[in-house]
Amino acid sequence: MSFRGLFIAVLISTAMIVSAFMIQSKRPHVEVKRPTADLVKANGKCAECHLHETSAVIHEYEMSRHNEKGVNCLDCHQPTKGQEPLDHKGFTITKKLSSANCQGCHPQQYDEYLKSRHAAPAWASVAGPGDFTAEQIAFSEAIHKGAVDRPAHDLTKIEGVAAVNKGCRACHDVGKPNADGSIGSCTACHARHVASVELARLPETCGQCHMGPDHSQLEIYHESKHGVLFNAQRATMNLKARPEKLSTSDMPVPTCATCHMSGLEGEKFTHDVTQRLSYFLFATVSDRRPKYEEGKKNMQAICLKCHTSPRILQFYSEAEGVVKSTNTLVKEAKTIVDGLHKDGLLTPEPFDEPIEYLYFDLWHYGGRTAKHGAYMGGADFVQWHGYYEIVSKLTELKKGAEELRAKAAAKADAPKAAEEPRKPGGQGDAASAE
Amino acid sequence: MPLRLNKEKWGWLTGPLFWVELFAIGNIGFLAVDVAVAHAINAFAHKAEYVPVAFSLAAAPLLALAMLIGGPLPAPRGLWPSKTPRWRARTAWTIGVLVGCGSILVGLAGLFFHLDSVFFEEQTLRNLVYTAPFAAPLAYTGLGFLVLLSRMVDARGPEWAGWVVVLAAGGWAGNFVLSLADHAQNGFFYPTEWIGVVSSALAFGFLTAVVVVPGNRPLRFTALGVMVVQLAVGLLGFYLHVRGNLAKPTASVWESFLYGAPAFAPLLFDDLALLGLLGLWAQATSRSDAS
Repeated sequence: MSFRGLFIAVLISTAMIVSAFMIQSKRPHVEVKRPTADLVKANGKCAECHLHETSAVIHEYEMSRHNEKGVNCLDCHQPTKGQEPLDHKGFTITKKLSSANCQGCHPQQYDEYLKSRHAAPAWASVAGPGDFTAEQIAFSEAIHKGAVDRPAHDLTKIEGVAAVNKGCRACHDVGKPNADGSIGSCTACHARHVASVELARLPETCGQCHMGPDHSQLEIYHESKHGVLFNAQRATMNLKARPEKLSTSDMPVPTCATCHMSGLEGEKFTHDVTQRLSYFLFATVSDRRPKYEEGKKNMQAICLKCHTSPRILQFYSEAEGVVKSTNTLVKEAKTIVDGLHKDGLLTPEPFDEPIEYLYFDLWHYGGRTAKHGAYMGGADFVQWHGYYEIVSKLTELKKGAEELRAKAAAKADAPKAAEEPRKPGGQGDAASAE
Repeated sequence: MPLRLNKEKWGWLTGPLFWVELFAIGNIGFLAVDVAVAHAINAFAHKAEYVPVAFSLAAAPLLALAMLIGGPLPAPRGLWPSKTPRWRARTAWTIGVLVGCGSILVGLAGLFFHLDSVFFEEQTLRNLVYTAPFAAPLAYTGLGFLVLLSRMVDARGPEWAGWVVVLAAGGWAGNFVLSLADHAQNGFFYPTEWIGVVSSALAFGFLTAVVVVPGNRPLRFTALGVMVVQLAVGLLGFYLHVRGNLAKPTASVWESFLYGAPAFAPLLFDDLALLGLLGLWAQATSRSDAS
């Protein structure tokens, strides 16, 4: 054996083997240490194809904290119990992700969400209880009485499937029951592949749904001092801060999430958006919530991070004043409409007479807007988009009701006139001409 | 009574040249299947992915045709057999050279196309692992050189034998990279995935040593032993890949083999071991001729 030959053979092959081990050891932990071979492979295999197809998905994912922490495509896309599997390029994935897929890693967030009105009540307010299981209805009804076990919204029948699918469902899908037994989709607020906390903290994200005439929260926020400051200082804020560590130095100005969800400076952060609410502001006539005191205390704990107690108490007192006075005006309108129904001057069919739309606009647009404006610091929405709309529509409503009653009275008098006997010589005709 | 070949009629079977040519034809032909399966993974997303398949389907029969026209043993110009008409020898030689050059070009183009998938966008270890297997197209380049070699260098001399071993060693270098990158994709999840990496490094090391020290018989025998081990490694890999694909239920067996562990890949060990053995045989015979 030639020593030179042996030396070369051993040197080269050893160098190659050592290089291979070194390269492998230098790779990130998440790329090599996974519970299954498929999970390891998915890390780069999916991106290899999807950079050429649906490339934005990869770029969005690359921006995510999931990517930072080594969560890979298959972690989220593998089917959970009850989901239909799909064989895709050697991987078994799920056709459609739901909150069940997020629940695996974020169980607390899912449980909190499930107790909120973003869950079953959101879907039921459009579609009624039909799509839910008895257990789901019972669970939600125990927390939000009457919010799920209720008929589908009357407007869905009138406006039809196209409007519901492209309109109502776009927002109310946040609480839609899924085939796998879960409810809703976290992507409504966090988006899909970027799965972003930052996104969920933006007013525009909540404003995807919480906007427009029936619940103008986004517009109110932008009018409020909170919104003005946020828009001015947005670039300086750390919207990516971890929820458990969020401080006023990260966000010295609140967005919707700060007040309603965030754990600012040690407060408990929550996905139950009802935990800090004290009134049913969305209702026709707003009553206090069952946990009124607790809700108020929870919200005020957040207010205290920026405001003094006297200021907070004054603010709440004024806002409650708006709730009470709008309730009075709405009740007045309600009494009129109920009276018309009772007297048979309106059909039992909903939304088939102009006066019903007028009443609906009065509380659903004007009433809600004034109340939300009061609680969120939107003066213009309290006044011009709120009270003014209520009182002007109330005036119209009264006039309309009077006209309906007059018409009904005239109709009732007409047969009596027809029954009166005619005098000879055409005097009856002369009288009617007058 | 032992079987004796008529040396005048069948003598071409007793040397490595014919078998090397047959190796080249068989490999170029089989690459049509291998590449078709590989490119089916992304459903031939780019038209260029058809090129190697078409090339293989054309090149292998052309080389076989050249063999029929010019005889079983390719030769450089000036060494064409006197019995073969000159036009036939020239035609066969031309076909071989064209196929060889074409194969080299296809391989190099494939290398760039494969790297272009993500590695050229961002040179990271991760992209190198998950990009299309960039070393794979170089199989065409290696085979192209092998085809040209027999038409440019006298197969009776030690130079030709040395080049065969060089090309076999090159194949093992490529196989080492492929084995490393492919198994890195699933993070060497099974320790057995290291076998291919280690054994292909050994094969490359010993064949390189044989190239540098060509006249050493014990070293050649050791290299031969290493090649025989590679035959076993290839078969073991084939078994493990097939078993893995059959064990994991997917929509169909075809999908398992398409997207799962590449079943043919381990057979490259056997393939390259054969080329290594041919090279070692050529070295042995050329040395004995020379001595």
